[in-house]
Amino acid sequence: MLDPMMEQLLPGFVDECKEIAERVTDHLIELEKAHEQSRFDDLARGLHTLKGSAATLGLSELSELAHRMEDAVLPLRGRSAALPGAVTDALLKTLDTWMAHLRATTAKSELPDLRPSHKLLEAVRHAVQAVEPGKAAANNGKAVAEKEKKSSKREREARAARAEPATAEPTAEEEAVPGEEAGSWRVRTREVVSLLHEVERLREVRLRLEERRRELERGLSQLARLGILAQTAEVRALLMGVQRALSADGEEAGDIVASMEDELKAICTLPVRTVLEPLRRSVRDLCKQSGKLARLSIVGGEVSLDRRVLESLRGPLVHLVRNAVDHGLELPDVREARGKHREGIVVVRVEQQGNMLFIEVSDDGNGLDLALIKQSARDLSIVPGAELDAMTPPQLHQLIFRNGFSTRRTVTEISGRGVGMDVVRSQIQALQGHIEVHSTPGQGSRFTLTLPAELGSSPVLVVRCGEHELGVPMSAVETSLLARSGELRVARTRVQLSHREHLITVQDLGTLLGLRQPEVPHDGQPLLVLQSQGRRVALAVDEVIGDRELVIRPLPPEVRDLAAYQGAATLARGELVLIVRPDWLSGFEKRDASLTGTRRALVVDDSLTARALHRTALESAGYSVHTASSGRQALEQLRHSSYDVLVSDIGMDEMDGFELTLEARRSHELEAMPIILVSARDSDADRQRGASCGADGFLSKKDCASGRLIAEVQAVIARRQGVA
Amino acid sequence: MKLGPRFPEEVTREERELLERRAARLRDKPRVAGEESVLWAAEFPVGEDSYALPLESLRAAVPLKMVTPVPLSPPHVIGILRFQGQILTAMSLSSLLGGRGWREDPAVLLVVDPGLGGRLLALDCERIPKPVPLPHALVEEARARSTGAVAEVTLAGLHQVNLLDLGRLMDRRASEKRDA
Repeated sequence: MLDPMMEQLLPGFVDECKEIAERVTDHLIELEKAHEQSRFDDLARGLHTLKGSAATLGLSELSELAHRMEDAVLPLRGRSAALPGAVTDALLKTLDTWMAHLRATTAKSELPDLRPSHKLLEAVRHAVQAVEPGKAAANNGKAVAEKEKKSSKREREARAARAEPATAEPTAEEEAVPGEEAGSWRVRTREVVSLLHEVERLREVRLRLEERRRELERGLSQLARLGILAQTAEVRALLMGVQRALSADGEEAGDIVASMEDELKAICTLPVRTVLEPLRRSVRDLCKQSGKLARLSIVGGEVSLDRRVLESLRGPLVHLVRNAVDHGLELPDVREARGKHREGIVVVRVEQQGNMLFIEVSDDGNGLDLALIKQSARDLSIVPGAELDAMTPPQLHQLIFRNGFSTRRTVTEISGRGVGMDVVRSQIQALQGHIEVHSTPGQGSRFTLTLPAELGSSPVLVVRCGEHELGVPMSAVETSLLARSGELRVARTRVQLSHREHLITVQDLGTLLGLRQPEVPHDGQPLLVLQSQGRRVALAVDEVIGDRELVIRPLPPEVRDLAAYQGAATLARGELVLIVRPDWLSGFEKRDASLTGTRRALVVDDSLTARALHRTALESAGYSVHTASSGRQALEQLRHSSYDVLVSDIGMDEMDGFELTLEARRSHELEAMPIILVSARDSDADRQRGASCGADGFLSKKDCASGRLIAEVQAVIARRQGVA
Repeated sequence: MKLGPRFPEEVTREERELLERRAARLRDKPRVAGEESVLWAAEFPVGEDSYALPLESLRAAVPLKMVTPVPLSPPHVIGILRFQGQILTAMSLSSLLGGRGWREDPAVLLVVDPGLGGRLLALDCERIPKPVPLPHALVEEARARSTGAVAEVTLAGLHQVNLLDLGRLMDRRASEKRDA
């Protein structure tokens, strides 16, 4: 049983051993490929530190096992050859058992049996002695003593520090703050997280300050344009002073935020390589089991990530890398026959853009086998056969994320249990992220994880579409231009833009978002050429408002499933702007958002809630609904689209329902369209005025509340059809 | 240093006395007939009916503005808004309850805690709710009868208040979403 004082030191010791074990693992894997003396020395130092530290804490069994690991490896010192595979295997296995034993000791759970590890090491030691006679005995005693001397001062101090509390008098400071070590504090995670959120808010305030300065600048230029310079000289001087001060305050606030973010990053983050480096071991082990050859390449391992995110990413990354080796890469002979290098490559690339994080796991293997996916989905009854036959390759790719899906017929140690990609996706979603898969037969697969990072801001282009302002990540915007009819090719089903000798499909943002029916961009309408996931699209918007540095936050759970959005960001006045997902915009070569085959309704109301309610009622009755927040906007939509019924509020600021009805009736195309006016007041005067303007029906909001909207809509449509 | 109440200098003596009387009234424990055990609820109309939420779940009542509509969202979602640094979903209560409309356009959003691990939601409402005491006995009786998100509490004079269980209401919505 451990001394209670030593027991308190165990959690810190586990962390330290974990780091050493990771380093030792890395060395073993590299030494197996080629000998490198400095690596060997560091490997020996690591094992020796494990032995010494375990002994200091009274963990004699672990100290003894570490000693046996040293015995197995030290006779090989000075050899120029790579470490034998059997030695590497034995040490890696023993190291796993060693760590498992240590964790079990800390958790006070059942301890793993160390005897098989001892036996394994003993066998290895004998084998090594047979190859290197004479060196083993000498090395066993001498090297340890030598290494003892070489053991760094820091390690000795660390061991001493762990041993000291049992005997040393605690200082006043240590007594005052339990758990505090010299020069460091223990702080609760949630306190740091809360501080992190406050810094995020501060960053938003800083961005708003900048926006206020711009507003002030706009105001000043307007004054100048009005030609009243003399009369406003004093006010302008004052405002210009405020503008300068705001600018200076903004810059100072920016510096403070940046500095706080840097400090917090240092506290809250770890380089992503801490999770990725151990994957080299997984790849090696898998290759040993499967007879494959693979190299794991890590790009961007220095990117630092929130510790909590990193911990949650560990599982999904392990799974994706293992899958890449197990399912993706071919056997060396097969690769050679296909003209590939015998050794496959698995690449993990990490990149942070603003406050979005992208992790890509790709391989140069076989790619997803569509026929096998189809067959498995059929065998496992995941999708009905007829539906399967109609699926496109990207739709079939999505099946791998279904619960219980597996292409393996038998359960192996590596895969085949049907538990995997669905869990990976749900873990990424739990981090408010998103996972995508792209695969090319014979060339490999690529999984892209997109996650929000806690700190930083992203450049966003804010655009307007109807009454909606939306953000498009600047990273996806290749260029913006104005539509010219000569550059557009209009076919029956799609519009294409001729741009730099390429034809790019044109999509209307409003149509994609279900706000209006498809329309061909008019001359002068802004088009954004976007590029995402290797696809390009020309996106038609109504106005380009400008670029902003915004903090993109995840959407709340009720709307997080919407594939269209990456998140939302706060604009200067405090309102939120939705950030659209570029790959969603570019991912549809042809999206038919027309409302063919269903009845169409246009709801016009300046109240968001009224629009929501009318939409609920009409959609539940089978109508497809578009909305407008003013009479003028409704007229604009009516010019481009046709509807079976118009339901309009009367009391709206900009063009009321009466005017809208009159305007509609003046148009030849709209004269027969059923129109129902809705009013908050149930007055005869409104009813009569509505009828005289040409409305077919009239309802009070009270009538709507009692469920009369659908009956009235059906009645007016029937009356119109009867008349026709 | 003792901190006392501060009044702007332009407040007259009468106004000050009036404010003090109001403050004293607010400090008084609300009187309830028979001093029976009650559940304080926030009562508001939805269409023709009267609904209520336990007062403890109500975090704030804010004007219905600065809500960003979310195209492609389910019909019961009005949009998203920012509240104290968080992004919340604003939902149509009438739509959630399967209703068809309000008597007048809602002007208020109720920020509520539906018991989803501290995550808040906003619900639209015709006007700022008024606090009402609901006898615990009647509430428990109504809850025992109810199997859904609404417990019908019948008060004296046959006035019926539909007490909402927000957790259940959201669970129902989530299960509908899953089924869909």
